[in-house]
Amino acid sequence: MSATVARIPEDRQPTVPLAEPQRRRPWSDLGFWIFAIIIGALLLLPIYVLFKVSVSSLAEATAPRPSYLPREITWENWERLLRWEIIGDPLRHSLTVAFSTAIVAVLIAAPAAYVISRLPRGIRYTVVLGLLLTRMFPEVIIATPIAANFFAWGLNDTDVGLTLAHLIRALPLVSWVLVGTFEVIPRDLEEASAVDGSGRVGTLLRVVLPLAAPGIAVAAIFAWLDSWNDLLYAIYLFLTEQTLPLITYYYANRGTVTDVATFSIILTIPVLVLTLFLQRWIRSGYLSGAVKG
Amino acid sequence: MAQDRSATGVLVAPGRPAAPPTSTYQRKTGLQRWLARHWLDVLLVTPLVLYILFFMFVPLAQSVYLSLVSASGGELTFDNYRTVVNRSQFQAAFVNTLGITVMGVTMEMVAGISIALMLSREFGGRGIFRSIVLVPLGVPTLVAGAAMLYFVGFNGYLNEILLDLGIIDVPVYWQQSGPRGMFAIALADLWKATPLVVLILLAGLESIPGDVYEAANVDGASGWRRFWDHTIPLLMPAITMALILRVIDAFRIFDIALVLAGQAIPVMSSFVYFDYQAGSINTAAAAAVILLLMILVFVVAYLLLVARRTEDVQ
Repeated sequence: MSATVARIPEDRQPTVPLAEPQRRRPWSDLGFWIFAIIIGALLLLPIYVLFKVSVSSLAEATAPRPSYLPREITWENWERLLRWEIIGDPLRHSLTVAFSTAIVAVLIAAPAAYVISRLPRGIRYTVVLGLLLTRMFPEVIIATPIAANFFAWGLNDTDVGLTLAHLIRALPLVSWVLVGTFEVIPRDLEEASAVDGSGRVGTLLRVVLPLAAPGIAVAAIFAWLDSWNDLLYAIYLFLTEQTLPLITYYYANRGTVTDVATFSIILTIPVLVLTLFLQRWIRSGYLSGAVKG
Repeated sequence: MAQDRSATGVLVAPGRPAAPPTSTYQRKTGLQRWLARHWLDVLLVTPLVLYILFFMFVPLAQSVYLSLVSASGGELTFDNYRTVVNRSQFQAAFVNTLGITVMGVTMEMVAGISIALMLSREFGGRGIFRSIVLVPLGVPTLVAGAAMLYFVGFNGYLNEILLDLGIIDVPVYWQQSGPRGMFAIALADLWKATPLVVLILLAGLESIPGDVYEAANVDGASGWRRFWDHTIPLLMPAITMALILRVIDAFRIFDIALVLAGQAIPVMSSFVYFDYQAGSINTAAAAAVILLLMILVFVVAYLLLVARRTEDVQ
């Protein structure tokens, strides 16, 4: 695996972005556009349907032969569910855990990632690959004993417990994004600062940290998203309390279709906004992190 | 110096073969000197190392241990594995997981390559289209499953679309065990995971040097020939990576299957969860270990086969 992962960066030379082969197109222009529009429509359809159901009455949503366009728009579902008694607690848990996970993940991973980024190349690749491999474990193999332990320690149904669990998933991801961030900060800057008489800690705080700030922000958002989306650890650890994904799941199991759609949209909005905002980094940070190993 | 002292053999007991050439004394001072220079690095790495150790490797070892002892503790036994393998629910979970993986990943690779090739062309509105392709990436996995509820339900949009296109005459009941249920779950996975495949393949496509295409153009290679003879082989590293990542994720599928089908269509991960909920943590751990082995076997087998094939080509 290391060979495969490591091979790609060597191929990554400055290249022509495939503008050339356009003159002889495999598809005609019209076919290309039809294909593009169909793909685009299919990709957006599920989100559209969720939104459409969330603004439909229950009768319309459950009718046989569903319609593509809403016959009548009603905000009744939204008004009923967006009340503090219903959404307050899950929202509070989800937000607390997501922000705690993001902050603690950065506090633990950033110092370590800095050290890893200054290791010799070969060791660095091995360490980062090892971090990635921990994300390939089936999560249930970790979650099952974690749940048993946390119940024994009284950490079930607590934000602390869920944060500790979410860090399991967030730390490798954050470390890996941050190793990529620190890697590109030139060592010369640190040496120059050392010559100026700053100690190593001073150099790290005054020179390296500000330069790494954007990368740290991106990594923190990834950790936040991972936590906000999580169902697996929440379902293991939260029995009486609920998070937003949990309440969505419970409604999907026992509730009405319109409520599920409404909760789904509420859960999706911040994720979608952050993802589209992060577009640039998803490619250059997250993925080059993956490809570069 | 430490080396000199150990070289004189001060700390090596007389009569004992001096096989380990480093004495504990030397190692300690060596460690101390190393620490004196690297104490800050060690301090910075320690929290992460401890966390990974205690919250990943200890639970992993715990699962393996739990899977090898009976519920009352005691001696090592394979009983949990025997019990779990004979359960029909486990067999269904195993078959479903493999079925979903094969269907889902096949569709994802085909869709991923098509969309990546499309996005590698210059056309008006490419930026918008790129954002649209990324939308499913910005949807929680759980929501991908929930959204699919409105498609694969009896009165859902999948039936509606197929009826409108005249492909079927009567609505199909998708949410049942067997290939239809697998397809329903694979469909949700397809929607959620294709953007990731597209991104990996796009990165691969952009690393194909343009002059390969120019050469192919001069040769007068047709679109399909160019695709099979040049694009696919050059894209192989990216395809390998996308495939491995996707198969591993499909083996671990949880949220989508749970929301879409619950206990009716179990998969490996949801089986482990339900078994744990039912109070049999030992068999749950055994099933989780089997899932880990499935992932390992796949990765090793794939790398061996692909590595061998690539050697043959060269």
